[in-house]
Amino acid sequence: MFRNGVSKLVDNPSDDICPVCKSNRYLNPSLQFLINPECYHKMCSTCVDRIFTSGPAPCPVPHCGKTLRKRGFHKAFFADLAIEREVDVRKRVGAVFNRRHDEFETLLDWNNYLEEVEGLVFDIVEGDVKTRTIAEEKLRMYKEANKGVIEENTRVGLEEGELERRREKAEREAARQRRLAVLREEEEEKADMLKTRQSVLDRLANEDVDANTIAAQAQKIILKKTSARRALKDIPIQSNGSAMDAGLTIRGLKKKEAPAPEKPYDPFGGLDLTPARYVLQDHYENEWLGGAKKDTRHMAGGYSLQEYYARTMFEAFSGLGVFIEDEVTDRNQQPQAVVAPAVETAAAVQAAVSKTKFERNMELDDVF
Amino acid sequence: MKFNIGDLPVLFPYPRIYPEQYAYMCDLKKTLDAGGHCVLEMPSGTGKTVSLLSLIVAYQQYYPEHRKLIYCSRTMSEIEKALAELKALMKYREEQLGHKEEFRGLGLTSRKNLCLHPTVKREKSGAVVDARCRSLTAGFVKEKKSKGEDVPVCIYHDNLDLLEPHNLIPNGVWTLDGLMKYGEEHKQCPYFTSRRMMSFCNVIIYSYHYLLDPKIAERVSKELSKDCIVVFDEAHNIDNVCIESLSTDITEDSLRKATRGAQNLERKITEMKETDADKLKNEYAKLVEGLRDAEEAREEDAFMSNPALPDDLLKEAVPGNIRRAEHFVAFLKRFVEYLKTRMKVRQVISETPPSFLAHLKEYTFIEKKPLRFCAERLTSLVRTLELTNIEDYQALQEVATFATLVATYENGFLLILEPYESDTAEVPNPVLHFTCLDAAIAIKPVFDRFSSVIITSGTISPLEMYPKMLGFTTVVQESYSMTLARRSFLPMIVTRGSDQVAISSGFQVRNEPSVVRNYGNLLTEFSKLTPDGMVVFFPSYLYMESIISMWQGMGILDEVWKYKLILVETPDAQETSLALETYRTACCNGRGAILLCVARGKVSEGIDFDHQYGRTVLCIGVPFQYTESRILKARLEFLRETYRIRENDFLSFDAMRHAAQCLGRVLRGKDDYGIMVLADRRFLKKRNQLPKWIAQAILESEVNLSTDMAVGSAKKFLRGMAQPFKPKDQEGISTWSLRDLEKFKEKQEEESIRQLREGMADAVIGGRVTTEGNGHPPEEDAHEFDDDELEASMMELNDD
Repeated sequence: MFRNGVSKLVDNPSDDICPVCKSNRYLNPSLQFLINPECYHKMCSTCVDRIFTSGPAPCPVPHCGKTLRKRGFHKAFFADLAIEREVDVRKRVGAVFNRRHDEFETLLDWNNYLEEVEGLVFDIVEGDVKTRTIAEEKLRMYKEANKGVIEENTRVGLEEGELERRREKAEREAARQRRLAVLREEEEEKADMLKTRQSVLDRLANEDVDANTIAAQAQKIILKKTSARRALKDIPIQSNGSAMDAGLTIRGLKKKEAPAPEKPYDPFGGLDLTPARYVLQDHYENEWLGGAKKDTRHMAGGYSLQEYYARTMFEAFSGLGVFIEDEVTDRNQQPQAVVAPAVETAAAVQAAVSKTKFERNMELDDVF
Repeated sequence: MKFNIGDLPVLFPYPRIYPEQYAYMCDLKKTLDAGGHCVLEMPSGTGKTVSLLSLIVAYQQYYPEHRKLIYCSRTMSEIEKALAELKALMKYREEQLGHKEEFRGLGLTSRKNLCLHPTVKREKSGAVVDARCRSLTAGFVKEKKSKGEDVPVCIYHDNLDLLEPHNLIPNGVWTLDGLMKYGEEHKQCPYFTSRRMMSFCNVIIYSYHYLLDPKIAERVSKELSKDCIVVFDEAHNIDNVCIESLSTDITEDSLRKATRGAQNLERKITEMKETDADKLKNEYAKLVEGLRDAEEAREEDAFMSNPALPDDLLKEAVPGNIRRAEHFVAFLKRFVEYLKTRMKVRQVISETPPSFLAHLKEYTFIEKKPLRFCAERLTSLVRTLELTNIEDYQALQEVATFATLVATYENGFLLILEPYESDTAEVPNPVLHFTCLDAAIAIKPVFDRFSSVIITSGTISPLEMYPKMLGFTTVVQESYSMTLARRSFLPMIVTRGSDQVAISSGFQVRNEPSVVRNYGNLLTEFSKLTPDGMVVFFPSYLYMESIISMWQGMGILDEVWKYKLILVETPDAQETSLALETYRTACCNGRGAILLCVARGKVSEGIDFDHQYGRTVLCIGVPFQYTESRILKARLEFLRETYRIRENDFLSFDAMRHAAQCLGRVLRGKDDYGIMVLADRRFLKKRNQLPKWIAQAILESEVNLSTDMAVGSAKKFLRGMAQPFKPKDQEGISTWSLRDLEKFKEKQEEESIRQLREGMADAVIGGRVTTEGNGHPPEEDAHEFDDDELEASMMELNDD
């Protein structure tokens, strides 16, 4: 391990010494290096404070002399400053050339476009002064020419990022919930076990029954409880799984242009009540209804023959085309809620960093 | 002996057969007929390999399809053993049939084991041999040679080109030694002979990795046809092999090397641009077209192959931003730098591939898609540049493989960054584990491609867990018990010492002096009564070391020393093999010896202690996995979420599987005998998780013993074993001659005939009623009801 540390020093001796004031990490353990994207020269934070607090000043590195401001200094993400610079260039170029795959007709076009952009970045990063200025000019021209498209694509990109983040968050949350549920359940199980054991001990101490029968009863109770628990167990997880699915479908929902306009209230909840198997007619010729049509006694009190027809027809046809067996088997065969595999991986993430020990429940003693 | 299973004539190269071997073969045939997968657990030392081979070879030769057999085993020695068995079998068949069959059986192992080149074969590391071999045999080297340039080549490899490509080696079974000899005689490379002949032989025997590790499998095994029969022997840790083959670890050191590799690549590219720009242009043009065309140039000399690209992706073109060589190298450098930065974090991080990719994109503008093509693009570049010293790029290749995997799989994988080696370490030594959680991912292509996959081992209980974890369905799932003429092994569970203190290697009590002393007493007692060799298994190296030092303090080792030589397994392979050799010598001469080893170590997996080499095996403690490992925790969580396998179940079954594996080491045949002691309180409740053949042999009176009781029954057992035992006593019970087999078959037939007859009788009654019904059409309506009723009552009768 020590060797590693040494080789690191040998690899890059400037890693721990400020090139400006030559102070090193040995003397100043809190040494921190900052860079300015103007010239990417590294110096320690003390130097930055010392030189640039009183306003813009030239870079202290010999032969550089670029005017720098304190505001521009920040910590480098990469150890290799060439890469840091390249990434900064990429950020700039990427903000302009942000076309998306679906804007292109063929894959070849898209790939050609990608290569062109890559070439441009390369020119800016590695090229000499001339190629660099040409490339910068290209970049500027493209930006002028395609302002609208760029803005549109930026917006879409942001939105997508937001959605992705939200989805991930939902997944993480679901995984956490499930983990918690499992832990809680295990604890309950354990507490239950202890309680049963205690009660058995009490009974053995107080009651005047044969010890063996009590033991047998206790065993039975435990078995019953465990099986009940097992049966219970799948339900919460399943419901959680479906909750998860809802979280996942956010992605689909969001893509809709606008929410559908609200429909008028429907008391039947969308159920269609018009008869499908027959057409209700105004009159049915029937001899024993003939009297009812004319008889004033029948006409009284708002009695309507139409009402009677409708009810009779409904009763005659109701239940046709309904197969109870099929529905029962359908219900039994309902697919189990499929849990999105993403959640499982997310759960594993949490398991890996968590501090729960499995050792403790390695051996669950039964009562006797 | 020769007998029939169904219509299939089987030639079995021994005069006697074990009943379980016959049952095993019948189930195998059933599986092959049905064209599905199966999981079979067969006791160790009952001739699993020979029954497997003789049935499948008979199957191959009898049916016109001639389905090829791919037999995968775990270690070199097992591969050699299987080849020798196959050779003996084919010899026997030849004698019996009177003519030589058109048959070719070959083994394949690494270049290191098969190389004949005078200087290359002297290299010690496998990776160096591979690299040097490639630099001598690659396609471009040959091209250069034909142009008249003076480049070093391998004469053994080049001689192969002079032969007919489908007949590099004559028919027959070639053991690895035989192959080497043949190669030396005819000056041809055994490795490439074997590789190229693979599609022309009937049986291939090689290591798991050639089929499971996608990095190798794609190159070695892609030409095998769909109807091949795939056998995984000793498959009890196949899930771990699957997982390991898709996991990578990245360290700071490997990243440094990768940077250096990228710099080298960059230099080579500039060199090539100056001298031979056409080549780069050619490559570029090809990549514009798509990977599939580049694919054609890919051959056995390829530098590495893509670990995971699905086929349809290969048809796609390489993304534009890594098409040019210099762009790609910059891309790699950026990725490596990013990883370096990530490694500087000083806390444990665990994240999913999508979140890793999101972070990566935010900081380096590397998209998922080019990342996915990383491995493929690197291979292509290395080929174009005609690099010879490939070992310099190993680290870069690892990083590229990692890039491809992380971009290809969203689920079932996890990134864990561990900055310190242990919780107490002060000096950081960061490791980025990219670990696969789902064993089904690596093995899925195997199940998708081959119609019959047979998974078999001495210990794969519980049988239903494997299909679940590996994601397949079985036709047959069977565990066989062991038929014995006498009780030739004595499994015992010792739960307390002579002083009635419970013994356990549980975390809380493992270092208590009373427990350690009781384990010591157990060891001394058994070292006194065991003739010849004794093997002791501990759950871990750490525990073994601590307990040995405590024993030393208690004077227990001195006591043991009076009776036996004491030898210890160490993590170092060479030291261990020396210890093993000494152990064997000691067992053959004089008092015998004790070998102290670790349940998950090398000794427990594949070293046999037959006869005098092992009379007692003592398993101290339940060999649980190290549960504090983050990777294991993540995997357990994943298993629970995905397959509803509870953590405790998984850990416990895994531990018992390893315990059984240890116990099985001493019993290597039916004339062998041995004592098996499981010394831990917790074994009492885990008894039913042992494989059927062991669990069946444990008597109810021997599950909760104290040390002195165990000693008593062991002495009694050994006295019984000392009685003369003639092979004749076994006949008809645990070994069958042809006559016994026929008798059994007759009985079986009678049984089936009887059943059939009963069925027939039922059918006749039913049938008569129906004909009656048909005979009187006018009364049809009335009779239909009767028929139904009668049939219903028949059904009830049948059920009875």
